[in-house]
Amino acid sequence: MSVRDLLSPFAAWKNLFRDPVTIIDPLNDRPGAPRYRGFHQNDMDKCIGCGTCETICQNGAIDMLPVDGIETKQGDSGLRPRIDYGRCCWCALCVDVCMTKSLTMSNAYTWVESDPDAFRFTPGVDKKHWDNAELGYHRPEEHQLMAKVRLPMGEMEPETRIESFAEIVNGYTIEQARLEADRCVSCGLCVATCPAHMSVPDYIAAVRDGDYERGLKLLYETNPFSGICGSVCTHKCETTCAARHDGDPIAIRWLKRHIMDQVTFEQCRDIVGGPRPATGKKVAIIGAGPAGLTAAFDLAKLGHSVTVYEAFDKPGGMTRWGIPEYRLPYARIDQDIDVIRSVGVDIRCNVRIGKDILLDELHNSYDAVLLALGLQLGRATRIPGSEHENVRKAVDLLRQATAFEDFGPPRQAVVIGGGNVAMDIARTIARLQKKEFGRVQVTLTALEDLAHFLADPDEVKEAGEEGVVILDSRGPRQVVIENGQVTGLKTWHVKAIFDEQGRFAPSYDETDEQMHAGSMVIEAIGQMTDVSILGDTLTEKLTWNRGRLQVDAGGRTSEPWLWASGDMVRGPDVVSAVADGHRVAQSIHEMIAETEQPK
Amino acid sequence: MTQNAPFFTPDRSQYPAKKADGTLDIDIASGKYLKLWQGPNHPGITGNMSVELTVCGDEVVEGKTHVGYLHRGFEKLMERRTFIQCFPIVCRICVPEPDFNEYCYAAAVEELAGIKSPERADWIRALILEMGRINSYMMYLGGQAGALGLGVIGQWTTYARDLMLDRFEELTGARIYHMFIMPGGVRDGLPEGFDKRMEETLREVESTLKDVYDVMFCNAVFKKRTVGVGYIDPALVDSYGITGPNARAAGVAKDVRKDQPYLIYSQLDFEPVLGQDSDIFTRADVRRRDVLVSVDLVRQILAKMPRTGPLMATVPNVLHWKIPRGETYIRGECSRGEYGYYLVTDGSGYPRRVNVRGPSYTHAVSLLERMIVNLNISDVASLMVSLHTYPPEIER
Amino acid sequence: MTQFDEGMAHGMERLRSKTTVQEILEVATGFEESARNFYRDLIPKVSKQIRYLVEELADEEQAHFDLFASLAQRTDIADQVKIEIERTASDSKFSDCLHLPNLGEQPDDQAVLQYAMGREHAAMQHYGELAETAPAGPIRELFQYLASEETKHKLELEKIYYATIHRGGGV
Repeated sequence: MSVRDLLSPFAAWKNLFRDPVTIIDPLNDRPGAPRYRGFHQNDMDKCIGCGTCETICQNGAIDMLPVDGIETKQGDSGLRPRIDYGRCCWCALCVDVCMTKSLTMSNAYTWVESDPDAFRFTPGVDKKHWDNAELGYHRPEEHQLMAKVRLPMGEMEPETRIESFAEIVNGYTIEQARLEADRCVSCGLCVATCPAHMSVPDYIAAVRDGDYERGLKLLYETNPFSGICGSVCTHKCETTCAARHDGDPIAIRWLKRHIMDQVTFEQCRDIVGGPRPATGKKVAIIGAGPAGLTAAFDLAKLGHSVTVYEAFDKPGGMTRWGIPEYRLPYARIDQDIDVIRSVGVDIRCNVRIGKDILLDELHNSYDAVLLALGLQLGRATRIPGSEHENVRKAVDLLRQATAFEDFGPPRQAVVIGGGNVAMDIARTIARLQKKEFGRVQVTLTALEDLAHFLADPDEVKEAGEEGVVILDSRGPRQVVIENGQVTGLKTWHVKAIFDEQGRFAPSYDETDEQMHAGSMVIEAIGQMTDVSILGDTLTEKLTWNRGRLQVDAGGRTSEPWLWASGDMVRGPDVVSAVADGHRVAQSIHEMIAETEQPK
Repeated sequence: MTQNAPFFTPDRSQYPAKKADGTLDIDIASGKYLKLWQGPNHPGITGNMSVELTVCGDEVVEGKTHVGYLHRGFEKLMERRTFIQCFPIVCRICVPEPDFNEYCYAAAVEELAGIKSPERADWIRALILEMGRINSYMMYLGGQAGALGLGVIGQWTTYARDLMLDRFEELTGARIYHMFIMPGGVRDGLPEGFDKRMEETLREVESTLKDVYDVMFCNAVFKKRTVGVGYIDPALVDSYGITGPNARAAGVAKDVRKDQPYLIYSQLDFEPVLGQDSDIFTRADVRRRDVLVSVDLVRQILAKMPRTGPLMATVPNVLHWKIPRGETYIRGECSRGEYGYYLVTDGSGYPRRVNVRGPSYTHAVSLLERMIVNLNISDVASLMVSLHTYPPEIER
Repeated sequence: MTQFDEGMAHGMERLRSKTTVQEILEVATGFEESARNFYRDLIPKVSKQIRYLVEELADEEQAHFDLFASLAQRTDIADQVKIEIERTASDSKFSDCLHLPNLGEQPDDQAVLQYAMGREHAAMQHYGELAETAPAGPIRELFQYLASEETKHKLELEKIYYATIHRGGGV
């Protein structure tokens, strides 16, 4: 202790001569820092209601709720996050995981309100004074909690795959599949989009856990064609995946395939659990494609006796006769169908209704009849010269290719069409040419421009890699025939195919005419159903809707004993046909149950 | 207690008498003893806890630390949260210096998940930890002075701390609960012009400390009340788990940053601050000098840290992050001593057990209860503050 | 499209001799009437599945019939026609590439559509030619108007054709 210790404390007095450091008007003079995690903002143009914010919120402060004026649509749940500021801790994890970057935080931090309930609000919907604030926490670009990039699917090189009809893609390894499955945020937008409403997030979780039995069980709950869909599904789910807003969508189709790759036929058979006790009711199904067989599977599991009549010598419908083997190996079709058979479905091939058995006979001997005919007939362009025998339809050639029939592959071919069928036939012909002549000479002309191709972009890319020359915006004008032989196709340039409203309004430029050489012209445009089996009387009796059979929500036609489903009603798509098969089976079962009830 | 013993005896340790089972023989009805609750609402308590004193006259014969005023069950809460969801919780375990929770938790998760945080993130983490240490000490100095009636010190240190909170705000987006050190790295890099503003803040801190030195440490009253009071025997350091400035003021050079360097501390140049006398004054002085070390460390970090490079390691999808079975203990030197996180994982998406080792537990329970005996009531607050207690660390 | 050219050309020659707007509209209305009757007769011949198509065509022709007939009643025809030709639709030549089918006994939807497009195309061309040769004034404007009406109808049919044949079944 010294004199200094007595005097030094008086140094405090010097503060009398200092300026105060207090901020006079903190409400206005003290904005939050540019990164401040203040009150939430939500950009309604970007938010898709995926609910990832709700999932991650550890306080349970976020609830996804419907909002007036925001409709539920594909890829948008229609729900928006409501935040309870009585619970929120402003950790900004919701901002960090927001899949669309719609959720941000402003730098505002003052909010006075007499009503405590007001602090539970929906950012972006309930107008707030900070809605337009530019500063505040936005997820930094590098701060990425989710992997953006899809795991690439290994596939054969173009030079190798063109040599044979072997399957192109390898499928994921377990390690790859887990990494890809890990990217999923389980929002479930895909479930709503999938026509069959497959429980996508759950089976992806099963992949993550390596629990393939569970995954398989989930697949079979909604889709007995999982093996097929794993290879060739149109995967609409991936177009609404939340991950696509800031990165690649999850490879949902490949993950489904991965589950099917990891299980055996016996496991599938055991999961579906064999035939059920018989009800004594009989259902006839015409057409062993995805719709018919899905309905058969459901009805057989309910104990009904199901007979499926198939005109061709093998079941599978367009999945077998339309899709080339390099996309969907036949063994995979056989396995899915064998599982369906294992529940007691009787599939009779080589029986053509209307020829071998009349539809009337089925009507008389079964409780219900289901038409699942598919779209087997190819449309023709009917341009000049198109009646020539070397102007063929893609569906017919694909069928012949599947049956290993030799239809005399041309040295040089021209394909008309820009859809998946056009790609299928172009690539099939390319493989046959490679084998026969050692070189690929296929020209594909499509009315649409590349941006509007109906074919899967992967298909277009792969066809190009395999040597198919793809010419877009070419309208077929005439098949050129010289000395009785097809020598090629003349096309006109299509200046525009759709008007501003996106409706078809083609305009041709006749001054830009091209000749595409080829000894065979293949039409791969629209398809239609062969309804001749109905006969004139029944056709006249039934109600039609713009060329298709009129059916109710359950697929029942205007004739109470007759149902219709699949491509012939819904348009071509495997998974839509599966979904339709379920609906129809339910409707038929309800009808049977009603008639069972004592009056 | 013997009937004939004089009321005041020179050796308070003999008083009161012990029963056969070793407990004190205190008969409140005798009128010789008084129960006195210091806290939970009392200016001489660090908040959220209380000390139950049994006094005889103005001398404490027994003290018991009571907690239970903020029991949120943080550790239990975490067992029901995913690994990422625990991240916003941990900071709450120590309000004035939350960053050690974030760091220890993140480092524990990273170790068990086999993730290495990027180097640039490690430097930013160290920067944040030193900034937090300065803040924590500034708060302490105000508290220590306040416990003895020197109210003005708290006003000055709060001002300096507030400037540092501004730096926290611009760096992390929040003033108190920074929530910036995430498993995998940190959220963002330094904002534009941060170094310059940080230097200004550090100068304010230094200037404030100079004033504090003049008014608090060169102060006859403060010395009278603190020198020789609240002595911790260096021999107790290990047996009582005493760490940090409480140990260093007793001459025991314990500093995790030196002993088991973490983050980038091995690349920094500093020496642990030591004291000799192990009383309240020395502990305050060790902390004051420690602030200056931290100020220097912040300068070193800003000078040496890389300015480019990744800030986050690649982490699995945080929504369903599962961590393999394992256990680890991560420690760091916080302003009060060794801060540690013991994490057990069982392969699921949730921690099996998180145990937080806050230095206040040993300091404010076992050590305080021993030291408080024979103390004058008026010195209890000063002693307790000198152990630098943050009660949430006791009841996690 | 010779079949049409012959039939139409004959009718068009009749038109060329007309000198008043009312007279021309009467003849044009007659064309629409005969087309409507043609489709109405066709309805029972086609399969029920595609009957909707022929019914719609008949309705369309009926609508044209009604439109021209009501126009003929108006005193301010010339002004009306003027306003209309300002928005003349332009031909896109899509149907040029199609064969004119022989409808036969039981035509299918594609044949019916092609036939209908061919008819609209021929009418469009002939009205167009008449407009070019007619002297400037209300008569030319009326022909332009009629050509535009037929073009609009043709464009509509082309949309249906594309949806049915090229994306038939939604391929």
